[in-house]
Amino acid sequence: MSQSALLKPALYTEQGTERVPDHPALNGGKCACGHVFFPMQTYGCEVCGRQGDALQPVRLSGRGKLVASSTVHIHAARAPAPNAEVKPHEAPFTIGSIALEDGPTVRTVLVGVDEKTLKPGQTMVTTLVPVGAGAKAIVDLRFIPAT
Amino acid sequence: MAKTLKDLRSVYVVGVGWHRYQPLSDTPYVMLGLPAIRAALADAGITWTDVESSYIGTGLLGMAAGRAMLKHLGATGRPLVHIENASASGSAAFRHACIEVGAGIADVSLVIGVDKPGVVQRAFTKTGIGNLADDAIVPFTHFALLTNEYAHRHGVAPQDVALVAVKNHRNGALNPHAHRQQARTLEEVLGGRPVSGTLTTLQCCPVGEGAAAVIIASEDAIKRLGIDPARAVRVTASAASSEAAGSQAGADAAITKDTIAEALKQAQVAPKQVDIMELHDAFTIEELHYVEAMGICKPGEAIHLLKEGAFDIGGQCAVSPSGGLIAMGHPIGPTGVGQIGEIALQLRGDAGPRQHKGAKTGLAHMVGLGAVCYVHVLQRP
Repeated sequence: MSQSALLKPALYTEQGTERVPDHPALNGGKCACGHVFFPMQTYGCEVCGRQGDALQPVRLSGRGKLVASSTVHIHAARAPAPNAEVKPHEAPFTIGSIALEDGPTVRTVLVGVDEKTLKPGQTMVTTLVPVGAGAKAIVDLRFIPAT
Repeated sequence: MAKTLKDLRSVYVVGVGWHRYQPLSDTPYVMLGLPAIRAALADAGITWTDVESSYIGTGLLGMAAGRAMLKHLGATGRPLVHIENASASGSAAFRHACIEVGAGIADVSLVIGVDKPGVVQRAFTKTGIGNLADDAIVPFTHFALLTNEYAHRHGVAPQDVALVAVKNHRNGALNPHAHRQQARTLEEVLGGRPVSGTLTTLQCCPVGEGAAAVIIASEDAIKRLGIDPARAVRVTASAASSEAAGSQAGADAAITKDTIAEALKQAQVAPKQVDIMELHDAFTIEELHYVEAMGICKPGEAIHLLKEGAFDIGGQCAVSPSGGLIAMGHPIGPTGVGQIGEIALQLRGDAGPRQHKGAKTGLAHMVGLGAVCYVHVLQRP
């Protein structure tokens, strides 16, 4: 795994947080006003509008509760493929909305799930999965039910 | 304290017209829009030279679509503007035309929603801020997540939700301008191809093109132009909002609840007084969600009322009498304008086989990517 390149290194790290060490952490941000957000950005706080140094990076634990999910059966890949080294999403896949323990709600692809048994409120954790289409080993972040 | 539309001079819908909503065809957008505009002018009994300004609602046509179309009515040199607010483009165009006429800057204004399917340019993907999987999440999926949360919270079964589609397809079958004009059984609705979660194609709005036009006029114009006041429907409220900080999943439902409440307050109408509701039913479950947000019943109760026929034409409140986004269709630009047109027909008693008897108060609701929300109330005295 540690020989694979992260697809979006600006958004997450392989290493977890102190509180949740076994699952990749997300690169979030915190504003001087207290608002916690994902991903990290310095354009301005969505709550108070402060920018610059008022916004500092904060690592968010890769664990949260499922808010909602939806299995996509029909997906037209956006042509041309944004990155030829990466496998495009293939339906069916499941999208989940996850309220992280550390605050923000994020949306991404879920793996290792059965559409019929997924329940809002269940604990989900981050994981890295291979997405490389060619020789290069690339991984991307997904959420998986906590065991 | 800011003014509301009702504080300005009275504004009326005096003419409505459509080009049928339909699947993508070779018809250029100009030939979708012009027939709708001409139908609305004829319906109002006025001519193009009476129109003082034009608001063109379009999400997908691209820059400067308006004059290339409007000049064929006679190039009058009057102002025109394009309004885009994703799915709510038509509703936004309508609001701003109402404000212009209400403010007295124009006496007569045209609102024309026109669109053809195309590559959707989503500017918000170009912010430079990354995302985990936005390339996998299309607007459909966004609304499917919303519906999943609702279904779990209220224990709603898929076959019950599908009844919304049965109702809306039945209404669409009575609407010559609808994209889908075929009544469907519950089995047909459930048996279709799954699109997202448990929602099948017939429970989701189609992709299509079309046009809808309404003419808005002041009382002065109604008198001056000899428009029949019995066919004029007053716009008594216009409310608009966008997603505020702190909302997570379900932002559309949160802004819907607040914006509908604001519109009803402006119009001084209670939820139970609404006779007609046209809303953003891109998915079946959304209809339940927004009807509850409107306050006509408690959360979780809409499905029971639906099964009792409360939302049928002839029931307590006719919801989506046009067929809604599911059957009438959702070509984007036209959608919000078409909702106003349907409500105007209903309040005038001109809805033919879709007529909800005694309709006096109608509410039009749209949400759009952003999220943004628009609610209008129309009333007959």
